[in-house]
Amino acid sequence: MNFKDYLKIERFPSSWCPGCGIGIVVCNTARVFEELKLKKEDITVVSGIGCTGRAAGYFNMDTIHGLHGRAIPLAEGVKIARPDMKVMVLSGDGDLIGIGGNHLIHACKRNTDITVICNNNHIYGMTGGQRSPMTDKGIKTITSPYGNEEDPVNVQGIVRANKRFFARTTTFHILHMKSVIKEAIQHKGFSFVEIVSNCVENYGRRLGFKNAYDMLLNFKQTYKIVKDAKELEWDEIGIIK
Amino acid sequence: MQGNEAVAEAAVKAGIKFYAAYPITPASEIMHVMAKKKDIKFVHAEDEIAAVMMAIGASISDGKSMTSTSGPGFSLMQESIGMATMTETPLVIVNVQRVGPSTGMPTLPSQGDVLQSAYGSHGDRYPIVFYPNSVSEMYKYTIESFNAAEENQGPVILLSDGFLGHLYETVELDKIDYKVKDRKGKKFGTGNRHYTGLISKNGIPMTKDTKVYREWIKKVKERTEKIAKNYAFYEYLENEKSNTLLIAYGITSRVILPLKEKYSIFRPIRMFPVLEKELKKISEKYKKIIVIEMNDGQYKKEIERVLKREIESIPILGGSIHLSEIKDKLK
Ligand SMILES: Cc1ncc(C[n+]2csc(CCOP(=O)(O)OP(=O)(O)O)c2C)c(N)n1
Ligand SMILES: [Mg+2]
Repeated sequence: MNFKDYLKIERFPSSWCPGCGIGIVVCNTARVFEELKLKKEDITVVSGIGCTGRAAGYFNMDTIHGLHGRAIPLAEGVKIARPDMKVMVLSGDGDLIGIGGNHLIHACKRNTDITVICNNNHIYGMTGGQRSPMTDKGIKTITSPYGNEEDPVNVQGIVRANKRFFARTTTFHILHMKSVIKEAIQHKGFSFVEIVSNCVENYGRRLGFKNAYDMLLNFKQTYKIVKDAKELEWDEIGIIK
Repeated sequence: MQGNEAVAEAAVKAGIKFYAAYPITPASEIMHVMAKKKDIKFVHAEDEIAAVMMAIGASISDGKSMTSTSGPGFSLMQESIGMATMTETPLVIVNVQRVGPSTGMPTLPSQGDVLQSAYGSHGDRYPIVFYPNSVSEMYKYTIESFNAAEENQGPVILLSDGFLGHLYETVELDKIDYKVKDRKGKKFGTGNRHYTGLISKNGIPMTKDTKVYREWIKKVKERTEKIAKNYAFYEYLENEKSNTLLIAYGITSRVILPLKEKYSIFRPIRMFPVLEKELKKISEKYKKIIVIEMNDGQYKKEIERVLKREIESIPILGGSIHLSEIKDKLK
């Protein structure tokens, strides 16, 4: 099967803004499905609410789009009821780490065999650019107009607290992203993939990036691929398991 | 058997495949029994939101599922009830009520969540709600809740209370009559349906299309009205000498049963949609209608709404109920 068969091509162009990173994540997830030769009957994608939450609706199989923050328990219900299926969560940073943070901790604890892909654009994209739990310290957003006073959540720390599969990649490093998603899907047990992603409209623009290309270039310059690390530094991408 | 145990055993009879919950008195025994059932997927979730969301995921992808809780947990589940409605997912939620608001009087019984069970979640919805009054009825109406959920493709609320949940009664299981409605439909995974909380048509979100929403909500409303007719359960004890009709449900209807010597009694089992047709017919000949309930007149408002006449209320608050107190108030 071609990667396009996993997508509802007739729904494109998508509802995302020009220059958004979510399309890169969706497309490459479908390419991984193709590379793994997965049957459509054997996979489902579950999303929460947000711009990234719309992702499930673009996959051409039975998919579920739940409530804000609740994609993980929804997906776990599917996986526990249907262990024969590969269950993937595709959602935003606010959704998975903010409002749904408690579920993330407990999915790690349960080690439910699902793959969670977090499109981390560091912002609440859908609602217009409020600070997310992943917004860096000092950054100005519409709910931190004088600069974010708090540190972002250490999501790697949460996932690794129970020694679960954790990976970070970016929307620039496409080959890396694909290999990371592939390994996460093949991993037995809970896996979490943080994809540093570009939201130019509600985040990058306010930081002074002129377009998505500038943001991607910034990812290229900032993030270094590391292998066999025990822990990823903030500017490193790779897999810890 | 205990009221809560009856719910768990009946769920098994109804063909439940998945159950998730979070402990809360006076509902926990349902969970304790389910935990031991080896053929049923069981999750002790991190909170009630996770429990109900897991149950929705399991129902969409596999088959019948249930969760159970009490008032505080039921409040946490409200948003998910809307999601089950929008995605047309069969689901049974049991609420063994206790005194609220907040942690209230843990864990004395109450009937304070009657209106919440119908109106607690945002947006327009037409839920089906049952409220039995004995352990054998808990058994029967648990199965009917599953049936109604399958038939109506949506959430069904089964109300209980701390008294009923913890009540022990002899139950003759083979004397309870019921039929089990099986899950129908395509196996999850074989299609390309997008189950979404967004208003949508053929899996495509239609969030700016008023017409699509209106058509959908009309469909759901009409379907519920039609299907609820198959579940119009109630009990009517007519006393020819009385010109007063007492209305009570759940444990309250048990307590006031001796009053049948003096009054007529109507006991709704299907609480929502309100048994409008039946109530209109029965109530005609009564000069006075009094609703007796363990809340501050919640169902009385519903009766007033459908009968469009003044209804009296005897609220029994604070977790205890005595026939003598009710008799005094009736004087
Ligand atoms: C219970 C609830 N609270 C708030 C909202 C409003 N809301 C929708 S999306 C969103 C934030 C999404 O941010 P994120 O998960 O990072 O996704 P992104 O849009 O950035 O992809 C919020 C707060 C909601 N839909 N439901
Ligand atoms: Mg975001």
